[in-house]
Amino acid sequence: MERIRIYMTGVGGQGTLTATTLLARTALDQGLDVVSGEIHGMAQRGGVVESTVLLGGWKSPKISHGEADIVLGFEPLETLRGLPYLAKGGSVISNTEPLPPVGVSCGRDTYPAMEHITERVKGCSAKCWFLPCRTLGLEAGSVQAGNIVLLGALCASGLLPFGPEALESAIRKYLKPTLVDMNLKAVALGVSKLAG
Amino acid sequence: MAHPILAGAPGEKHLLLGNEAIVRGALEAGINVVTCYPGTPSSEVPDTFHRLKDGSYYFEYSVNEKVAMEVAAGAALGGALTLVTMKHVGVNVAADPLLTMTYTGLPGGLVLLSADDPGCHSSQNEQDNRYYARLAGMPCFEPASAQEAKDMTREALLLARKTEQPVMLRTTTRVNHLRGPVAFDVRPEPAKIVDFNRDPRRFVPVPAVARVRHGELLKSLEAIREVAENSQWNVVRGEGKVGIIASGIARSYLSDVLAEQGWADKVSVLELGMSWPLPVKLIGDFLKSVEKVIVIEELEPILEKEVRAMVQEMGLNVPVFGKCEYLTVQGEYTTTSIQMALAGHLGANAASPVCFEGEEGLPVRPPNLCAGCSHRAVYYTVRQLFGDDAYYSSDIGCYTLGILPPLKMADFLFCMGSSVSSGCGFSRSSGKDVLAFIGDSTFFHSGITGLVNAVFNKHDVLLVVLDNGTTAMTGHQLNPGVDANVLGDACVHLDIESIVRGCGVSEVAKVKPFNLKATLKTFEEMKAKSGVRVIIAEEPCILYARRALKLNRPQTAYVAEQGPETDRVLNEFACPAFYRDEAGVQVDESLCSGCMVCMQISKNFKARKRSA
Repeated sequence: MERIRIYMTGVGGQGTLTATTLLARTALDQGLDVVSGEIHGMAQRGGVVESTVLLGGWKSPKISHGEADIVLGFEPLETLRGLPYLAKGGSVISNTEPLPPVGVSCGRDTYPAMEHITERVKGCSAKCWFLPCRTLGLEAGSVQAGNIVLLGALCASGLLPFGPEALESAIRKYLKPTLVDMNLKAVALGVSKLAG
Repeated sequence: MAHPILAGAPGEKHLLLGNEAIVRGALEAGINVVTCYPGTPSSEVPDTFHRLKDGSYYFEYSVNEKVAMEVAAGAALGGALTLVTMKHVGVNVAADPLLTMTYTGLPGGLVLLSADDPGCHSSQNEQDNRYYARLAGMPCFEPASAQEAKDMTREALLLARKTEQPVMLRTTTRVNHLRGPVAFDVRPEPAKIVDFNRDPRRFVPVPAVARVRHGELLKSLEAIREVAENSQWNVVRGEGKVGIIASGIARSYLSDVLAEQGWADKVSVLELGMSWPLPVKLIGDFLKSVEKVIVIEELEPILEKEVRAMVQEMGLNVPVFGKCEYLTVQGEYTTTSIQMALAGHLGANAASPVCFEGEEGLPVRPPNLCAGCSHRAVYYTVRQLFGDDAYYSSDIGCYTLGILPPLKMADFLFCMGSSVSSGCGFSRSSGKDVLAFIGDSTFFHSGITGLVNAVFNKHDVLLVVLDNGTTAMTGHQLNPGVDANVLGDACVHLDIESIVRGCGVSEVAKVKPFNLKATLKTFEEMKAKSGVRVIIAEEPCILYARRALKLNRPQTAYVAEQGPETDRVLNEFACPAFYRDEAGVQVDESLCSGCMVCMQISKNFKARKRSA
């Protein structure tokens, strides 16, 4: 298969790492060669969390600037910050609903306008999609499910060698039974958003 | 159903974190005893052992790395196959027993996991602990994948038992925190406990014994060199005239670069997975087969210098390249940096593949004290009372994050346990008021000795023990201060106040940080005094309270009135649950933990019941 590098970025507490592991397990269950990595040393809520999933035979868990075929942004400012990782001809799927850093809340910093972010993303990606993950997550049953909305969209994008069904079986297999229905709904919302 | 790491059968393949793979590797060796002090990036190794405890091995969270090393050494002397885990800076703490236990040797077998952190993702320095392997005289394995992490852990333990020689398993953050498929092998019964044969002429290193044992260590390492020469982890690939020698995770980066750039047939690669003792025959033959050699290793140019020395000893005319513009002594390597460094040697184009340069001036998102963290309440009180008149000696833990404005509660820091002692030195020389902050786990780690010294030498310092009832920064591990109900039968709760008093401190007070008024009053009283004073601020870590103690606060804060005073709370207290929209300052209910501190600061904040 074609080798794919996925760079994921978000904010601590959003479930970025849960999503990363779920995606890596989905890929492994599909018989793909997978390696995944995460940096979350200062494991506090509210800091930037970066993670990677590499499919098809890569050995390194790390993605350098200009190497990611897909950037998956769990928070719009982090999508913008993560753009240098995108390879030429790569794709971006991003949440549109901000989590303002403390500096922004206190008025020391200015959060970039959403139009600016989408314009930048469009300017350097071959394909891109934007979804209101927090709202869709709440629709599925919890803010936290927003991360699975984004994964559902990724699986529906045609960028991966597997579709949403593979993600759905991984959700049934690896998540706590009490969380399965909500997350299946989150996948469906992500998929339908991409279709619509 | 038992966890796959415990119960997984041979041939099964599971996606494991590098740190989980190390646990499986230890189980596949028949591990008997595990000791540790948690520290990122090592923490998931002990945490996994703790979570899975099935009675087949003894596990403990020791109070610091030196103690962990000593307990482990004692266990290995008593015949147990033993693993001791810590982060790179932890080995500094454990260095004293370590550098002598390699002289005595340990018949049960001991492996030290040293988790290094190139790039300082979560550490105060980026020291290269391969130096410790050489300094202490330990064979050293350097895995680069989850599979290798498992396989090398097992092999290191078996080698340690066979040779009675302590072995280092040296990882780096990217290895500890990568996830990859791991094919399982058989998990045998726990290793047999080796009989201890009393032999003071070996195990009691008085000078006459130590002299002899140093010689024995050198002989033993020479014998183990043969293992490295023939190790399956030290392999040559390719037949090109440009030679590359690589170790650690750089092996993976290199492999991806060669595949991506189509350079595999232009180079010969010597991968060193068992990197000490140096396989000199293997390296020598490699050097003779190439026209030049490039050494690729993160952090210090250790292999590079050794290769240069070998070239000189062998009288070869092979240029050696290593540290350079792209491959620096600082930080992590990347595929890009390796590609750029190799391009020149291979006559290729070194253009960077970046399509978006990145934007300047984006708002930063530094890690922050959580919403509802009691440390913020203490820091707020201290800032109100002392402002910039006092100096703040910090320590290693969540509370170091108080460095950020507006709290600015960290003026200096060295290492675990340094807050008290460095604070004493600073106040002695500068004559300034000093407040030192230390967490409960760090207090037990090495704060107690500093406190004893402070009392004994009549220093002038106000120590604040930020007791959140757990080792919060690394993921809520047990320490002697943890709630007795959470500790379980195997451990005993120790009372910090009694210890502080037992150390000879008479000025001791306890506060509940969420009661701002009473906390401020106590700090005012202590401010008026001099000498060694201790305030213990007790409140469980908010995340721990929710997860482990099942405590949830039914209320949430909201902004009842906007205005300059509300803005002041936002700017001076800066809880991450606060944000600003068109209407003014708001509280994000999903982040608010209901600590009720903001409403004590200003009446503009009020409490209401959480929405469903």
